[in-house]
Amino acid sequence: MTDTPAVHPTDPFDPEALNAAEGLDPVDPAYAQVLRVATALNLVPLAIGASVFDYLLIRHIEGPYGLITALAWLIAIIVIISFPSRRVSRWGYKIGAGQLRVARGWLFRTDTIVPFVRVQHIDVGQGPIERWFGLSHLIVHTSGTHNSTVTLPGLPADVAAAMRETIRRHIQTDFA
Amino acid sequence: MTDTSIAAPAAPTIDDDADWQRLHPATLALAIVKLGPRSLQFLPAVAALGFTGNRVYIVPAILAFLLISLLAAWFQWLRFRFRVGDDEIVIESGVLSRQHRTIPFDRIQDVGIEQGLVSRALGIAKVGFETGAGGKENDASLDAIGLDAAQALRTTIRAHRSGEAATAVPAVDAPDAPPAATDRLLFSMTPRQLLLAGLFNFSLAALAVVGAAMQFFDGLLPFDFNIFNPRDWIDIAEDYGLDQWLLAHRWIAGVGAAISLLFIGFASGIATMMFANWNFRLTREPRALRRTRGLTTRTDVAVAVGRVQAAILVTDWFRQRFGWHELRLQSLASDGEKERDHQIVPFAQLGAIDPVLAEIAIARPDAAAPWQQSHRIIALGGLVGALGATTGGLVAVSFGQALGWFGAVLGVLIGAASLFGARFHRWTDLGEQVAIRRGFWKPKLTLLPHASVQSVDLKTDFILRPLGLATLVFGVPGGSSLASHEIPAIPVATAQDLRARILAARARA
Repeated sequence: MTDTPAVHPTDPFDPEALNAAEGLDPVDPAYAQVLRVATALNLVPLAIGASVFDYLLIRHIEGPYGLITALAWLIAIIVIISFPSRRVSRWGYKIGAGQLRVARGWLFRTDTIVPFVRVQHIDVGQGPIERWFGLSHLIVHTSGTHNSTVTLPGLPADVAAAMRETIRRHIQTDFA
Repeated sequence: MTDTSIAAPAAPTIDDDADWQRLHPATLALAIVKLGPRSLQFLPAVAALGFTGNRVYIVPAILAFLLISLLAAWFQWLRFRFRVGDDEIVIESGVLSRQHRTIPFDRIQDVGIEQGLVSRALGIAKVGFETGAGGKENDASLDAIGLDAAQALRTTIRAHRSGEAATAVPAVDAPDAPPAATDRLLFSMTPRQLLLAGLFNFSLAALAVVGAAMQFFDGLLPFDFNIFNPRDWIDIAEDYGLDQWLLAHRWIAGVGAAISLLFIGFASGIATMMFANWNFRLTREPRALRRTRGLTTRTDVAVAVGRVQAAILVTDWFRQRFGWHELRLQSLASDGEKERDHQIVPFAQLGAIDPVLAEIAIARPDAAAPWQQSHRIIALGGLVGALGATTGGLVAVSFGQALGWFGAVLGVLIGAASLFGARFHRWTDLGEQVAIRRGFWKPKLTLLPHASVQSVDLKTDFILRPLGLATLVFGVPGGSSLASHEIPAIPVATAQDLRARILAARARA
């Protein structure tokens, strides 16, 4: 087993290079804001919980009061500010000749291709946070058991609608 | 079977009694049998009555329970009726809330006939219609009608699907007589073959059951002798003065224990094989493969050929030495409630399996096929586990716990097995289909036509990427999501090339 040379010799830690090397389009940068708000909604209650725990317990047992609070808020703020934009830059998609390609993740990267003719039905969804930023997500359903749904988030609402129309036309021409 | 040319287009109403049929009256007897397990739910109530001192009410309560259950079953039977039209079957059911269901024959993919022990004694069968609708509860069934009627119904539906609905359909065909010239026997199992298969089916799982029974019966039996307890047998030997002799010849006891272990293993293997596959018959019908089998519960399942997605050849290390294999088919429909793929050939040589594969247009790769190996890195998961077990074991040993050696030895074994097993991950592309082979202890060969693939994942992670490797995962209809089809750790360029070739295939008709 000889190792093949790396397919994309660009710096693997540079998120911009990842999508470009694989010929993928990036999702809308505004999706980072969506992720940021969603992450904040998850983490801020946790940080508050840690603060309360700190106030109620650590102070009473004469522990290092304030340490947990400070640490919790620090981690929360770092995660909220820095992680979402990295995650967004690792999403990529491409509407190719008769197929949709969606790639996500870096540590565990998954690159999915769904041919349009295999699509059973399509959803375009929009959550409250996404609506705030004018974004939608596209969900493609196939009949496979593995990967029965492929989700592509972070699309401007009109782009998502246009993609749905593109895929829908292919489904129709297949059966015509 | 029935002539509903007048009523067919109109919405069926309660008035046209003529064509409606009821379930077989023996279904009521079946309901009584089913009452047995259900009465367990009633036990707490009886116990409550007993504890509160109201023992007088126990017998009337049980009688009332029986009466109500029987009445309910009778009402359900009375309110259940179905009608077989020219191109649809209509089922009405429900006592209080009525349900009206129309199933066009076109939408019925498989018709399954199942008979339990009691059903066979009564000559009735449960007919299940597989419509491909998601979920078990969405599939209609007739539980139960006469066996003759069930087979006639299936013939009707099949004839319709074959496009010969106009021709007359024979009302009755005997279970074992070949129904038509187009149906031919592909594979069957004689009792001799079953016995052989059962011998290979050797399993010590039954020992666990015996052990549990030993525990359970120990305090339960009224007499002071437990046939599952070896000590009681030694006591008997003592009575006859045999104990001295036994002590002197301890090896006899050892041999006896080994023989009884072997006997239990073989007997349970043969029994499970016999019960499941008695009188196994696989026939080719115009559009489907039809499988009938079973000793007590006889099932009759048809797998539509057009809906077969993949073929899986399973064997194990020992069976493979003698050339025995098992063939399973992954189809859109699931086989029963537990299994997600259909066992089509339980035990056969490859020579007997090839004709079956030919019927579904899937070929087995021959010896000349260019097999390619997955990278050894796939042993990493097992090695990490082995390292964990070894470390844990050694830590335990260092704390003076001798049992820790067990963990250490286990870790080494796991590591060796995963290193060795990683060499058996192979794949080859046969043009129209991919063959994936994996496992040494239980070799499994998956034959996946390109056209069955719905989506392809190309996965890399922080371990595979530096090595220039990727894992391909295929989305295939049917089967379980747990056992997805994948080719692990192959070079990225190869993976991308294979992905492009597979996705270029046309949709499987």
